[in-house]
Amino acid sequence: MRLGFRLFFVAIYFTSVLLFAACLRNANDRTFYKICAARVAQNRLKQQLTGKQLRLENLINPANVAQQINPPK
Amino acid sequence: MKNLRVSISLFGLLTVIFLALIARCVYLQYFNNPKYVGLCDKQQQTIAMLKPQRGVILDCRGRVLAASKELQTVFVEPRILDDPKQTASELAEVLDVGAHIICKVITDGANPGFVKIKQGVDVNQASAVRKVRGAGVDYDWQRHYPTGRLASHILGFTSADNRGLEGIELEYDKDLAGSAGKSVFIADAFRRPIRLKEHFADVTDGVGIILTIDSTIQQFAREELYQQYQNYRAESAMAIVAEPKTGAILAMVSLPDFDPEHFNTADTNTLRNRAITDQFEPGSLIKPVVMAIALDDKVVNTTEKIFCEDGSYCGKGFGCISEYRNGFANLNVREILVNSSNIGMAKVGQRMGKEKLYNGLKLFGFGKETGIDLPGEAPGLLWPTPKWTGYSVTRIPFGQEITVTAMQLVKSFCMLANGGRPVRPHVIKAVVDNEGNIVKMTQAPPPVAYCVDPKITKWIITEALTGVVNEGTGKKAKLKKWQVFGKSGTANIAKEGERGYAERQYVASFIAGAPAEDPAVIVLVSVRKPDMSLGKGYTGGTIAAPVAGKIIERTLTYLENSRPSTLPKTTLASKKK
Repeated sequence: MRLGFRLFFVAIYFTSVLLFAACLRNANDRTFYKICAARVAQNRLKQQLTGKQLRLENLINPANVAQQINPPK
Repeated sequence: MKNLRVSISLFGLLTVIFLALIARCVYLQYFNNPKYVGLCDKQQQTIAMLKPQRGVILDCRGRVLAASKELQTVFVEPRILDDPKQTASELAEVLDVGAHIICKVITDGANPGFVKIKQGVDVNQASAVRKVRGAGVDYDWQRHYPTGRLASHILGFTSADNRGLEGIELEYDKDLAGSAGKSVFIADAFRRPIRLKEHFADVTDGVGIILTIDSTIQQFAREELYQQYQNYRAESAMAIVAEPKTGAILAMVSLPDFDPEHFNTADTNTLRNRAITDQFEPGSLIKPVVMAIALDDKVVNTTEKIFCEDGSYCGKGFGCISEYRNGFANLNVREILVNSSNIGMAKVGQRMGKEKLYNGLKLFGFGKETGIDLPGEAPGLLWPTPKWTGYSVTRIPFGQEITVTAMQLVKSFCMLANGGRPVRPHVIKAVVDNEGNIVKMTQAPPPVAYCVDPKITKWIITEALTGVVNEGTGKKAKLKKWQVFGKSGTANIAKEGERGYAERQYVASFIAGAPAEDPAVIVLVSVRKPDMSLGKGYTGGTIAAPVAGKIIERTLTYLENSRPSTLPKTTLASKKK
């Protein structure tokens, strides 16, 4: 009877370890995915900002300002 | 007995089959292992290459001159498409392109793994495309130059694969480019990464470069030069604005120019930065330098009179030398420079002799590159003395038999304005990493020995060269606010492939600086082959001097208003007077 319990606990123990490992791996993958998604989003925002900055620089650079003040005849 | 034979035969046959299978397994697992492991990896893995963002190039006030922007590209992988028409119609809705066009592109595509559909889609389109099976979004970097043509020759340009091909882009290509990142992922059936398997390298974006160029001064110089370039229908023109004490180049214009974003369509003749690549005979521009060397060598003094032969000087071994306009009798050193006397300079050259003249010009940096941080700089031509003829010692002092670049002339005048101390022209102020930390900073050169006595350079600047502007050929560069010093030059252009000079073809130049008491800027303007048929003149004093004057006036006014501390106190004081 005792041996039966022991075997049962060992089986439960190993099963739970395997389940826990699977859980951890799953969580790791999810976190990794989230980080990647956040990086992509951050990069996208950065690129949007770069685009806006370049548009602004296009408008305010001395060559363009001079052209606006004295348009070529 | 019969059953036994059958059994043995069967056993033997099975043994042979199993041995063959084992042999095949050994062959596959041992001898052909790398091939199948490779195929397996290819199927299970996906390699992600992260392309680095190319570094920015800023002017000295932090204005963006060049920057890279992400460019999203929609592509499809035809080999995994079940129905190209279905994919095409799904993409058509998102991309606003006809489905039949997309379908044709997909079916005509030569590469079954990648067919480019549209470049430059926005964020919303990119996210919608990612939901379409078989379609994906790749990215690349596109270089932008917000100032357009303004500083095209300094910045240069990049190729479609983001490699620097000219200017700063080429010179600092390695630093600007950064390094790519590489990771290997385990991928699912749709090639989507599930888990990171191996990480080889992080992506490192390129460093930023801050130039000494000020785009406002660059605009002043370009605007003024362009006007004159068009008025005189010149072949080319260039202007350089420099800080004499540090050698920092504040502006450098070369015309004709090009748009760096569309350099493919530009005339190849416009791509050259003439300020550092084109060599020409300097003409009278070199006279103040030769005179400074002569005074330093004590072969002449400032009070002595030299007979200028009334306009025609002939002799055995050096032919005949004449003046540009009128002849002169006795002139002192100042008058020789103010009147730009060729004969006076030839006589000074004869007194100096080969070695002193050659060594002095070498000290001022002629005949070798200035070392400016731009690619393709020409060294100019100053023959070694054994190659000099009888003509050389009388012709070099007024700028013949020697070729120089505009940058060399600016360097030599910076030295005169800097009290005879050598300077190195440079366009890079600092290199900064992605966190904004300074990686490299161009330091002001440490005090070094004088090449020429500072008293002599001071005299040349404040007495002789101010005389050129106040009384001589440089009157058109005169300013009310500041005392300008300068020297004009009208040099003949040598014929190509034969002896002698081309008729009616000149390089009209003027080099100036201000304020004379403590120079803050040096400006060189040079206009090549102005159209003489216009009848407007062709000399340096007529064409280049007014441009130099205007550039100095606008630059000093701008510097005074924007950073008064950088202008010498004498400037402000003299203005108040």
